[in-house]
Amino acid sequence: MAAIETRRLTKRYGSHRGIEEISLTVESGEIFGLLGPNGAGKTTLIRTLLDLLHPTDGTAKVLGLDSRLDGVSIKARVGNLPGGFSYNPTATGREMLWLLARLRGMRDLGDAEALGERFRADLDRPLGQLSRGNRQKIGLLQALFHRPELLILDEPTSGLDPLMQEEFMAVVAEHRSRGCTVFISSHELDEVERLCDRVGIIRSGRLIAVERIADLMRKSHRKVSLELAAPLADPDELSSLPGVGDFKSDGVTISFTVSGPIDPMIKALARHTVVDMDLTHPSLEELFISYYAEAVG
Amino acid sequence: MNLNGQLLTLVRQGIVVRRRSLVVWSLSIGLMCALEVAIYPSVQDSISVAVESYPKALKEAFAIGNLDTVEQFLNAEMFSLIVPIALGFFALRAIARDLADAAEHSYLDVLLSVPLSRRLLVAASFLATAIELIVILLAVTLITWIAGALAGAGLPLDRILAGSMNVLPLALFFAGSATLVTGAQIQSGFVTGLTSGVLVGMYVVDLVGRLSPDIEWVRYGSVFRYYGSAIENGIDPVAFVGVSACAIVLAVIGTALFEWRDIPG
Repeated sequence: MAAIETRRLTKRYGSHRGIEEISLTVESGEIFGLLGPNGAGKTTLIRTLLDLLHPTDGTAKVLGLDSRLDGVSIKARVGNLPGGFSYNPTATGREMLWLLARLRGMRDLGDAEALGERFRADLDRPLGQLSRGNRQKIGLLQALFHRPELLILDEPTSGLDPLMQEEFMAVVAEHRSRGCTVFISSHELDEVERLCDRVGIIRSGRLIAVERIADLMRKSHRKVSLELAAPLADPDELSSLPGVGDFKSDGVTISFTVSGPIDPMIKALARHTVVDMDLTHPSLEELFISYYAEAVG
Repeated sequence: MNLNGQLLTLVRQGIVVRRRSLVVWSLSIGLMCALEVAIYPSVQDSISVAVESYPKALKEAFAIGNLDTVEQFLNAEMFSLIVPIALGFFALRAIARDLADAAEHSYLDVLLSVPLSRRLLVAASFLATAIELIVILLAVTLITWIAGALAGAGLPLDRILAGSMNVLPLALFFAGSATLVTGAQIQSGFVTGLTSGVLVGMYVVDLVGRLSPDIEWVRYGSVFRYYGSAIENGIDPVAFVGVSACAIVLAVIGTALFEWRDIPG
């Protein structure tokens, strides 16, 4: 059974676009990433799945249940971290967790204490006095503490420091190992790349691609900037390498993009004295352009 | 968790969150009433003379008859205008805060991520508001009675209780109105503004109807027509039940609209 299954799911706000005809299947037990720039429709899709927004058209099933008709039953089995998590600023994290636990019919705080220690979350200060990152930790706790079958996380590492991002990834991996399905929305390519089995790319409300991470990265390129000790005698030595494009050389300063394996480039550069080198992944927007260029080409 | 358990949890939570506001409203209204009762014995003679000199229209507009008794005085000073308007506003703001404010600040995204139906959320807000109103009115009753006893005003507890509790259906009517408006347009400023406008508008309509016998019929468009002066005449059970029923109907319609609408993020 698919954990999430949408068929031509559409949400419009009057004449404004939300999401358009999204058909998507997230298999049970997988970690699925939804990538897209801000305003692409990621949060609208999540809020429609959780019945906070009613679809204009199409259907959505979550854990085999209809999102419109069985919203309450679905939420008993789902943990949700809303984007830009916030709650009553006068309540402490512990007070909020107890409220949610009682509403879930729990007699204790489940995994909240253990997770709180791992994330170094301050459960006893009012949420309004916490920094954005520390508030986000409480948001993660309320999504995770009841051991849900499906985790829906909207920009989960927003505001977290690198150490806590690592901890978050470890926690997600543990949840997956016990069979939990994880649906992550993000605009952080690195995060999605490290965590997810598959990604969907959403742009302007439409799902334009669903790929395995390995395939997505194969289709993407890296930007390389170099400074050599001496100019290249033969620029073709680099520009003719497989996957190299947009080659620019200004004496000792060289820049180009490289798609696919970078090993041939490294071996070619090993024959020269490299003074400085910068290798970066493309931004999400550049990835879209790259992806489109290949898809159209 | 069963529905009753969830309802109880939410009602308790609503009251806990507003506990400070409960104390402030109880004390401020209670102490104002206490002050009026406490000064009555010393101003009793002069106030009666002063009232006789008031224009007839003014006396009709504000239901000021003779102020020969402390009940009449307390009704004229507090229960005919200040208490119902203040608690009507308290009730509509309680609903706006629980639903529209919570939606605007994305708190509802957290609450509605648990297995909780929207109608239960609205019902809990309405019920918590009703309980808070009862708490405030009981506190007002108690504070006023103590002040009256200390000042020797001779104000019976049952009269104060009737005057206080008569405000409950009226305030709930505006809680129901706020629920209805929230169901239609979940924006805190809009809910508060429109429902406050209805509150003041209904008071003015009732006032105009009382001032102008030719258009007295307009009072049927105002819930204040059914309010009366329970501290003097006791609670009118038909009006009490009727207005309460209207409040519940408004809340039920608002709940249906809230169930149907999108929750803004």
